[in-house]
Amino acid sequence: MKKLLRKIFLADLLEGLWVTFRNQDPKYIVTEQYPFARPKVGERYRGAPRLNTNPENGETLCISCDLCALACPENLIVVGWERNAQTKRKELVNFTYDTSRCMFCGLCEDACPVDCLELTQDFELANYSRDGAIWDRQMLEEGPKPARYKF
Amino acid sequence: MSLDSAMPEEQKPEGVQGSGPARSESPQPAADAAPAAAAPKPEAPKPAAPPKPAPKPPAPPPPPPDWEGDLPTALKAEFGDKVSEFIAYQGQPSFVVAQDAAHQVVTSLRDIHGFDYLVDVTAVHWPKRDEAFDVIYVLYSFVRNERIRMKVRIKDGQKPASVVDRYVTANWLEREAYDMFGVEFAGHPDLRRILMPDEWTGYPLRKDYGILEMDNRWVQENLGIESGQ
Amino acid sequence: MAETYLDSTELVLNMGPQHPSTHGVLRVIVKLDGEKVLGTDCVIGYLHRGVEKIAENRTYTQFAPYVDRMDYVASVSNGLGYCLAVEKLLGVEATPRAQVVRVILTELNRIASHLLWLGTHALDIGAITPLFYCMREREYVLNILEKYCGARLTTHAFRIGGLQYETYEGFEQECLAFCDMFLPKADEYEELLTGNRIWVERMRGVGILSAADCKAYGVTGPMIRAAGEKWDLRKAQPYSGYQNYDFDIPTGEFGDNFDRYLVRMEEMRQSVRIVRQAVAALPAGPIMAKVPKVIKPPVGEVYVSIEAPKGELGYYIVSDGSTQPYRVRVRPPSFVNLQALDKMAKGCLVADLVAIIGTTDIVLGEVDR
Repeated sequence: MKKLLRKIFLADLLEGLWVTFRNQDPKYIVTEQYPFARPKVGERYRGAPRLNTNPENGETLCISCDLCALACPENLIVVGWERNAQTKRKELVNFTYDTSRCMFCGLCEDACPVDCLELTQDFELANYSRDGAIWDRQMLEEGPKPARYKF
Repeated sequence: MSLDSAMPEEQKPEGVQGSGPARSESPQPAADAAPAAAAPKPEAPKPAAPPKPAPKPPAPPPPPPDWEGDLPTALKAEFGDKVSEFIAYQGQPSFVVAQDAAHQVVTSLRDIHGFDYLVDVTAVHWPKRDEAFDVIYVLYSFVRNERIRMKVRIKDGQKPASVVDRYVTANWLEREAYDMFGVEFAGHPDLRRILMPDEWTGYPLRKDYGILEMDNRWVQENLGIESGQ
Repeated sequence: MAETYLDSTELVLNMGPQHPSTHGVLRVIVKLDGEKVLGTDCVIGYLHRGVEKIAENRTYTQFAPYVDRMDYVASVSNGLGYCLAVEKLLGVEATPRAQVVRVILTELNRIASHLLWLGTHALDIGAITPLFYCMREREYVLNILEKYCGARLTTHAFRIGGLQYETYEGFEQECLAFCDMFLPKADEYEELLTGNRIWVERMRGVGILSAADCKAYGVTGPMIRAAGEKWDLRKAQPYSGYQNYDFDIPTGEFGDNFDRYLVRMEEMRQSVRIVRQAVAALPAGPIMAKVPKVIKPPVGEVYVSIEAPKGELGYYIVSDGSTQPYRVRVRPPSFVNLQALDKMAKGCLVADLVAIIGTTDIVLGEVDR
């Protein structure tokens, strides 16, 4: 009998609708207004790569040890260096990072012994061309400059 | 590495260019470079690993222990010298079966010893060996809660008997082994390629198949491009 | 095999690969008699990337990120299986703290995987609301993962021998807060679905697979438990310290779609239980065991399997003593479970086929690898 009444009055559907109405409460709104408000990503987020420089004199921290290039599963890092004739130390000349093939696994930043190469919280990596996805040393040190739109 | 020669190679945006042969040498320099690179800045945080590679012990590893128990005894009694090499490497029992007895052993394992679940069928290619393929069956018994591995060594072109009539699940697993290695299973009801396109030539997981290699004719006909690389 | 009724003739219909309810690029060739399914044939491989071939050309450490890309909604489980397999080859064991953190993250990821399944499956059946709610709750899990390891989907959270990252400040509190928040939400989903007549009629008695069939087809995970077989690798062959936690294995009775749904719902609650116990038992200590920097396992081969959200996920690794694996074979649960589709779908209606594919819970990235 109870079952029949439930059936006639569509109790199961109304129960479900009640859940839906309960969730109309504004405190349940979780949508992020992305282009207007940039979401805050985690501190350890693995996004755009960056080559850190010494904040005092702007010199690169990279010691050209090539460990990141060896650690990379996709082989997408090329470290260009030449040996300084006077100090006998390696000096970084160029650094190429192909973000089009990168899967942001973070093995390169784990391998870096001097905290130079780092994956940052920048996540806007879109490009108009494939060549633009290959970043050189200047780009890596300055960071990407995604377009900012005014609404 | 001089940068001028390496640069243009890297700038090709697509594919996994240059990841083939060069990669095999890469780990050795890493071992040498690690302590040297860490030297200038010893306070660098390193939670990952011990600071230097462990010293290599020169002694050869001991042979894996024999697999002992009632199952090896029973199988030896039933099949004699068709079954051999009962070992338990890292506590995982495995044994080798002669190719002509494989089907009977599987039947016996399923019907008498209670291995009612075929976990996996796969193959391993050993091109330098005379018997170039290991066909591997992983079996599990719900009753005994035991997992065993059965190996069948076959020559290239030999056809091991299909076990689809014993375990239905072998159907796709054997198709995949055929697709990837070219091991044909005699008596399989529907031996077609499963992951690769039907008209593809070559067997990708064989060791002589390069990582950048592909069926160019198929690619040109079906995708309308010169090459996928 | 086709039996024709009256004047009807067989119709061959292509479902997919671009079909919204096949959850990826699955193509099913369906043989129909009217609306009745006479047989199915799955065409897979559209997402084949050759993961096993890639493994042979990478070092052990380098291959770890690739396994995340197989079952991408449960990448933490994939990583756990791979790390356990290589650790077994090396003969090392992760430190106690690392093991507990691994359990927490894996169980959270299991909840996320089941939530995604529930949302998309309800969408297939015609209930659109659960999708939004499930995605909302899943976001909490993904945020924890993002804060812990820096990525949301393809996490690469574990390393061979332990963990790369120490837990962040507030990790335990966030996990517990999620557990407290999640249980009422799970009841809410059940309120929406379990009693709903449309849902029950679409699910009950459809796509039945008995326990014997499950074993014959090698079907594992929630599907075999829905058929009444109380079998979970976390209990049967515990790994990573699962023997220390107290949890139940939910089972079904009939092995139909509805039981699979109930089993997965209950599994999420059990995962919450495990997470709570694990957070309470989180020991202090190092997070990385002693493993050499260059991983060179001795010659040998192992097969290690874990209970992934979809079923038994196995890694068979052959080492030839070099820095690169000689062969890595992945035993994907989705691939094997999908094979039983033909058995389940025979005799049902086309619309039920969608429901059956849904409750099989396949991820095409794992089917095709």
